[in-house]
This record gives sequence, structure tokens and C-alpha cells, in this order.
Amino acid sequence: MDATSRPLRVPREMGIYAEKHELFQLLQNMLEGLLIHKPDEPIQYMISHLKQDNDHVPRICILGPPASGKTTIATWLCKQLNTPCITQETLLEETLELTKEVTAFQERGQKIPNALWANLIQERLSNVDCIKQGWILEGFPENRDQAWMLQLAGITPRHVVVLYAPDTVLIERNLGKRIDPSTKEVYHTTFDWPSDPLVQQRLVEAEGISEQETAKHLLEYHRNFPRVFQIYQQILKLINADQPCADVFSQALTYVQTWCRSAAPFTPRILFCGPPGSGKSLQAALIAQKYSIVNICCGQLLKEAVADKTKLGELIKPYFDSRWPVPDNIILKLLTDRLNRLDCMTDGWVLHGFPRDLDQAEQMVKAGIIPNRIFFLNLPSESVMERLAQRMIDPVTGERYHAMYKPAPLPEVQARLKQNPKDTEENIRICLETYYRHAGDLEEFYDNAFYINADQDPYVVFEYIESCIVKPLPHKS
Amino acid sequence: MAATGEQQGREYLERYKIPELLHNLSALLLYHRPERPREFLIHALERVKLAKLTDAEYPYLVDESNLDAMFEMLDTASQGYITLVQYKGALKTLGLSTQDLPYEEDATITLEIFKKEVKKLLQESWAIYQS
Repeated sequence: MDATSRPLRVPREMGIYAEKHELFQLLQNMLEGLLIHKPDEPIQYMISHLKQDNDHVPRICILGPPASGKTTIATWLCKQLNTPCITQETLLEETLELTKEVTAFQERGQKIPNALWANLIQERLSNVDCIKQGWILEGFPENRDQAWMLQLAGITPRHVVVLYAPDTVLIERNLGKRIDPSTKEVYHTTFDWPSDPLVQQRLVEAEGISEQETAKHLLEYHRNFPRVFQIYQQILKLINADQPCADVFSQALTYVQTWCRSAAPFTPRILFCGPPGSGKSLQAALIAQKYSIVNICCGQLLKEAVADKTKLGELIKPYFDSRWPVPDNIILKLLTDRLNRLDCMTDGWVLHGFPRDLDQAEQMVKAGIIPNRIFFLNLPSESVMERLAQRMIDPVTGERYHAMYKPAPLPEVQARLKQNPKDTEENIRICLETYYRHAGDLEEFYDNAFYINADQDPYVVFEYIESCIVKPLPHKS
Repeated sequence: MAATGEQQGREYLERYKIPELLHNLSALLLYHRPERPREFLIHALERVKLAKLTDAEYPYLVDESNLDAMFEMLDTASQGYITLVQYKGALKTLGLSTQDLPYEEDATITLEIFKKEVKKLLQESWAIYQS
């Protein structure tokens, strides 16, 4: 849309709805499919595409040099994600239409052409299990031609995991490869030795594990891999295979479960919760400054209303004077008015200081205020005390000091420092108690919140918050 | 290679009017906000397909009462007709083409003509999609 035209008032519900149901991704995936396959009957294609409902299934390639542990990682991932695993061997064992052709090539001792491989894989991937549950392709494509063939057939992986390790490690590792001839399971003399003595006896050395042969395979791999790397560099993740299997696996799993950032329009609606002194206002100010969104502190908003002598302000004033808490419905009214203004609607907002209990949170949802990123800043009570109870102010210059972080420069200044009556230990303890009384409920209410240790440098906290805002929310399966 | 690929893609979209179709579909989705968007889309697309074969209705976003209301808003003085300029404005708001209108500059458009013409144009706008 033209940014210079007057701002378009889109009803807030539409944005929230589109975000909740990921309409952008839904339509994007559909368009992607249309562009790849260019069907002659687009509407029919769209209907069947929507019926497949497989936007979120994994589509993974696992590549790597021989003996880097591709098979192990692939099998573990398959178990974890419940997807079929496809390798060149499994393809040959299955009875697909093209299998005969492939075996014919093999019997004649010829190399199977790349196009045939691609067709075979395409046929396999159009089976129901691959459509519904996704697929993990192991050890394919081996070279650029195969990758191109896959692309021509409209097969694009979403994640490519590449294992790497120094050649010497791989050659060494391959020497210990043993195979159980009856179950076809793979064992290793040092890393994965079977406990059953029966199995131990019948193990045989795997084929092609001698140093020369591994070196030959490695050489070929190094020759072909850079081209494959070029094709998939956007979605490729390199993982060092020279570490325990479980570590490699956990890295691979984390990677394949992250989703790439989408171009969907996103207005941040951020909520900070945390005990007093946890740095909510500071973080909100930093975020608001960096992303030019509207920073809303609930207490500040109330004070502004009173100072402006608005109608609502007049209502609030008696509560302020008598030091009673302002009723929820007035706060909510004020907040809704503010958040519905154009700047909040177009740029997004960051809210802190509200809601303080479950009831307020529920009312907020009812009023249509739905944050899309929620952060809990956690801080031990001692740190809160340390941060808040030692703040002092110089009544002469107005300068603020802190006994620990910013001590007064001169003894005479130190002598005339005064403390805000709100900052006494007694007062802070009361505030903390009220916060923790309701914190549990709130944490339960916002089940997709992020938890942050606020007892670190403000910029470390800020960086973490930023990363959470920028990345899409993880999918709940 | 990339350039031709992109061009082919654009041509394809152009030929089957995919962007317009997606635009209409998302308008429907955002207006109705169904609980299950996927099923809703399937249903809408099936209606389009059916409407092409038979005379069934397309999944329009505006219905007759909307058009009545729109006409009333334009015809503030309740004269019973609107001018061509107003008519063109109305068509633009509805996202319809204002080209090739068979009217003179000073033509007046009554409610009946307005409704009939807009409906015809709406139908044409959906009918261009190929199943």
C-alpha cells in the first residue's frame, strides 16, 4: 500500500484475527503452490491444496560427508517428528512404479541418472504419508544436478541440515563401523557397542570402510558439496558432527523447529509484567525508542488524565486524593481509548503496569486488548530491595543517587540526601507482596509468555526481548 | 534464467487473475472472520466453481441491502437518482472497473439501474476466474 496516502483505518479485530489464524502464511503458501505448479485449473488446485492442510509439516534434507552420522540423526528426527524418512536405500526397497527401471540400471551396473532419482523421489513424496506428515530426505541431493532436478520437480526443502567434521575424524570413525547382518542395525566399536554378547558375535565389518575408500568418498563429497551449498544457502544450517550424538541431535531439532520469519504485516503489541524495580519501564522505553512504537505506562496514563482535567480524570482524582486504588472499569476505559488511537493502531504499543491481577487480565481480553508478545521479567526480592531501597535524591540540585550504583560524590552531599517515602523497605515489601500474590495467576493466564531473568545488564535483557519480538512465536503442536 | 522464471510466474498470475481472486478471498475472510478459515476458503472456492457451471450465486461480499444503503448515502437529497460522478465513485469503492460505462456525462442513475449494473459488474468480476 502507498505509505503516503492517508492512514487506513482497519478495524482492530481484523488484524488480530489475521494474526491469530495466520492468514498471511495461509495465502502465501497457496500462492507459492500456484506459482510452482502453475495448474491450468487454479481454483480446483486451491481447493485441494487447502484440503491437504500441510503447511506446517517438516520438509527436511539432511546432508553430510560419509560417516558424519546422517542416518542416526535422520532416524532420531523421524522418531521425534513422526515423519517418514527417505534415503536412497529405502527408495529402492519400496515398490514404486519407477523402482523397476532403477533396479534395471543397477543390474546393468550403471549409475542411476539424476533425473530418474528426482522422479523416484517425486513419486515417493506424493504418497499420502509424505503429504500428511512431511518428509526427511537423507543424503540427497548429492550434487548440484540432483538439487536442480528436485527444484524442477517442485520439491523444495524448508530446512537443510548439513553435518560437518574434519576428514581425519571421519576416516577414523568409519573404520569402527559394524553391521548386524540379521537386523541391519549399525553399531560402532567405540561409540555404540551392543551390550548383548550374541549381537556382538554376529557383527560384521561394514562395506567400504577402509581408509582409501572413505577418502575417495570424502573427495567426491568435497567436490560436489559447494554447489549444493550455493543452492540451499538460505535455509542451510551447519552443525559440527564431531561431538556426542545427542548434542548434534538437539541442535538439529532446534533448527528444524524454528520457522523462518514471514513478511506478514506485524504490529507489535507488547506487555511487560514483573515486580517493581525489574526494569519494565526502562525496557519499554528502549523498545519504544528503537521501533518507534507507543510506550504506555498505566500509572502515568492515570496521572496524565488527572493533570489534563479530562472527564475521566475528574473521576479518577478523588481516588488519587484518598489514596484508594482506581477502579478497574475506569482504568480499562482509559486504556481502551488510548490503545484505539491511530498511533497505537498503526505503530503498535508496549504496555506495562497493567494488568495486575487475573481479573484485570480477563477484562482486558474482553475489551479487545490482546497483546501478541508477553514478557515476565523475573528478579529476586533481594535485588529489588537493592535496586529500589537505596535510591536517594539531592534536594538542592535535584540529582538522583544510588548508594551502590551511583554514590554521592561528596560527604556534604551525602549528608543532605533525602529518600522518597515510597522507597522505604517497608513500602517496597508491601508492593512486592501484592505483586507475587497475583503473579502466579497471571503467569497461568498468559500461557505463551516469555520469561526473562531481569537480574542482568539492561542491554542483555533488551537484546533477548528484541529477539523474541522479531522471531515468530513457536508453534504449539 | 531467473528473469524468465519470474516473467512466467507473473504471466501465469495475470492470465488466471490470481491476485484479484486472493484479494477477494481475503476480503471475505476478514469480513466474516470464521472460526475455521481453511474450511471457509474451501467452501467459498467451491461456490465459485459451482457458480461458473450453473447460475448459482457467487460468494459476494455486498448484498442487496448494502447496495440500497449505499445508494441512499449517495442520494442525500432523496432525488431518486445519482450522477455519473457519484456512480463512478461508488464503483471505485466497491473495487469495480469504471471503464466502458455506457452513459453520457450528464446521465442520472436511478436505484434500479444502479443495483442492476453493480450486480452485473460484480458477477463479471467473479466470472473471470477460471476453475
